[in-house]
Amino acid sequence: MPPARAEVAVTGLGVVSGWGWGVGKLDAALASGGTSIRPFVRFDHERYPTHVAAEVPERRAASESVGREASDLSFADTFAIAAAREAIAGAGLPGDLSNHDAGVFFASCTGGGFECESFYEAWRGRNLWRGPRRLLASHPVSRPGEAVARDLRVTGPVETVSSACASGTLAIGLALDALRTGTVDIAIAGGADSLAHITFGGFNVLQAMDEQPCRPFRAARRGLSLGEGGAVLVLERLSEARRRRAPILARLEGAGASGDAHHMTAPEPHGRGAAEAMARALRDADCRPDSVDWINTHGTGTVRNDLAEFHALEVVFGAHLDALHISATKGSVGHLLGAAGAIEAVATVLAIRNQRLQPAPGGGGIDPAIRVRLAREPVAASIRRALSLNMGFGGCNAALVFSSPGLGSEGAT
Amino acid sequence: MTVVTGMGTVSAAGLGKARLLAALRSGTPTLAHIDRSDGMHHRTSARLAACVEPEALRGAAAPTDARRMSNPSRFALLAACQALEDAGLPIPTEPDGERAVVVATAFGHTAFTQQMFDQILDLGPTLASPMLFSESVANAAAARVALATRAAGPNLTLAQGEAGPLLAVARGLAEIEAGRARTVLAGAADEMNPLVHAILDRFRALARARGDQPERARPFERRRNGFLAAEGASLLLLESEAAATARGATPIARILGAWSAFDPSAPPSGWGNGVDRLAARLRRGLTRFGRSPGDVDAIISGASGSRAGDRLEALVLRQAWGGQPLPPILAPKETTGEYGGAFLAAAVLAASGERWGSASDSVDVDPELGVGMSTLPLPATARCFLVTTLAAGGPASWLLLERP
Repeated sequence: MPPARAEVAVTGLGVVSGWGWGVGKLDAALASGGTSIRPFVRFDHERYPTHVAAEVPERRAASESVGREASDLSFADTFAIAAAREAIAGAGLPGDLSNHDAGVFFASCTGGGFECESFYEAWRGRNLWRGPRRLLASHPVSRPGEAVARDLRVTGPVETVSSACASGTLAIGLALDALRTGTVDIAIAGGADSLAHITFGGFNVLQAMDEQPCRPFRAARRGLSLGEGGAVLVLERLSEARRRRAPILARLEGAGASGDAHHMTAPEPHGRGAAEAMARALRDADCRPDSVDWINTHGTGTVRNDLAEFHALEVVFGAHLDALHISATKGSVGHLLGAAGAIEAVATVLAIRNQRLQPAPGGGGIDPAIRVRLAREPVAASIRRALSLNMGFGGCNAALVFSSPGLGSEGAT
Repeated sequence: MTVVTGMGTVSAAGLGKARLLAALRSGTPTLAHIDRSDGMHHRTSARLAACVEPEALRGAAAPTDARRMSNPSRFALLAACQALEDAGLPIPTEPDGERAVVVATAFGHTAFTQQMFDQILDLGPTLASPMLFSESVANAAAARVALATRAAGPNLTLAQGEAGPLLAVARGLAEIEAGRARTVLAGAADEMNPLVHAILDRFRALARARGDQPERARPFERRRNGFLAAEGASLLLLESEAAATARGATPIARILGAWSAFDPSAPPSGWGNGVDRLAARLRRGLTRFGRSPGDVDAIISGASGSRAGDRLEALVLRQAWGGQPLPPILAPKETTGEYGGAFLAAAVLAASGERWGSASDSVDVDPELGVGMSTLPLPATARCFLVTTLAAGGPASWLLLERP
């Protein structure tokens, strides 16, 4: 049994995003300040009010990443497996984990929802026995995580979180817990989701979508843009990672979660719940707010969410907010829903590894009511400790604290 | 140690644990004919489900906006209010940051999702209802519980098929033990609408009538041919034993441990053959929590009547017991059905000292499995209960309960 406060390392990353298949493509894109949000082709969106999303390109790359079975998997399952394989390879672990104490802690909001929609559209009102069963098999939101576990021959716990936009961050928090308590030695943590009518239509009817690529924290912002993909982090206890000389990309120091108990779709306007999640993550990491150098915000680009998030940052960081750089990955890859927290955690680890700011895409001035230092250029910066925050439907909030592998006890409470 | 001090349950049997217990004792599931008018069922497919009677919800205490909620949200909210009342805890006026909510769901809020997609297809996306979307997300039930009970601690929705309810309790246990929550409402909520019923039948998962054999779930029996689909919600109120004692609450059950595993040999919608590894994980969990198979007085099995699932369950149990005789086994899903959390509530009732035997007085045990259900009520001396669930697709979860 490891000590209760075992330190945890990030040893592998994997990503599928609107920029393509692999962490390298995302890393280069985050430095460019560009966006992968554009008109998409997954389904006919002519009747929808908005027409852009960050769609995963190069479907052909799926079979290269996952193999021939990609044609039998949902998009979300394919993204999940490809990201997990990349993360495992990067961590220097075998593709068969059946002889390890490994677990999968995953997130998804729609699972194989797109495939199920395709089935339903073709077969509603008719005898389902005549439709292709494989389109239904991936429907439950638990499937992407289970697909990863099956692919990597994992025999330990598999848990799927489906708590809206906070799911990915919460799943990584569960993984941290499992490593600290000795439940697993290796945690595969992440999420995957694909574009689907229900989510694209749902956010449109809520009038929460921007006709242009989303512009987090900008005065002209009009809403979010959806994305799709998968993101995975391999987490291990630091001692074990060092013993096997694994690449240590960052440390995962703490996690925190809270509920707004306020409204089904709107954030608590003063950001109280989000502030509590961040405060809990900082307490869990045993560090002071003023030791944080960079924040990867939830930053959806909706008017109310960005404002509430700013208020939450004010509550937690106070005057230190003036010294902090913030960014918003969603401007680059869109909102990955269940996988948002996971891809944003990957982006946070990349910022720490590269010691470089990630400019937030989207033109125009910052909302004067939101007084934050939004990164504009990919300039070098000292990022010793960073926080990633997510806020979801139903008032779910979750935050993670990462630090550079070399950071000692600086900033401890 | 973490204890259960309150429980709420909404099932086909009705509202509250007394009705569920009466159903378990009678051994008769409350069945309803599923609406097949949309034409999606095969003519020979299953026709029954254990559905919550709308009439049973009439008069139940609920906020006025319950009329806007999906069924899983309604069920979960009613179960949460019952659990708090049972635990003697009032709903606070201010948000309680030390109260967490963990709700498992297998399929989410499918009826609202289906309605919304129908509207997108039929009316166009601009005329679809925003209310349907906000209630179609998988975490709507957990969010509604938090809103109504002012629970401002961590709020989690877990989805792991049939393994979800026990995983939710395991997560609640972790929140208490890590000090992240003082109380946790943990359990499951699900609905069984005609589309999900038809899809489950498409996967040959549901029990069917055959010859003179009526349509019903027959866990571990030779003639089993599927499970009974169900809906409802069951939520437990968890807190530390010290906190319960300090406020004078009486625990219903003590949670000795919870753990889980995965069988990677399982196909996405079926059961695998990973008997050795699952049995090893089961034994390892018992050891971790200071118990051996011989310490288990009774097994509350998640066997549902599934041919492959029950077979795997039986083989795992036999292997874990290493040739030693198994303790008495109950399989409440013959009455509660699968999904909706009533199985979890039944397990807690057993651990609290309530007693019942198998529904059938002449169980036709499958000789290949070598295990069968106890036809007699469990002995009054039984204290340590292993609760098991193996899910389609590979997940497995276990819970170890003790009678206080």
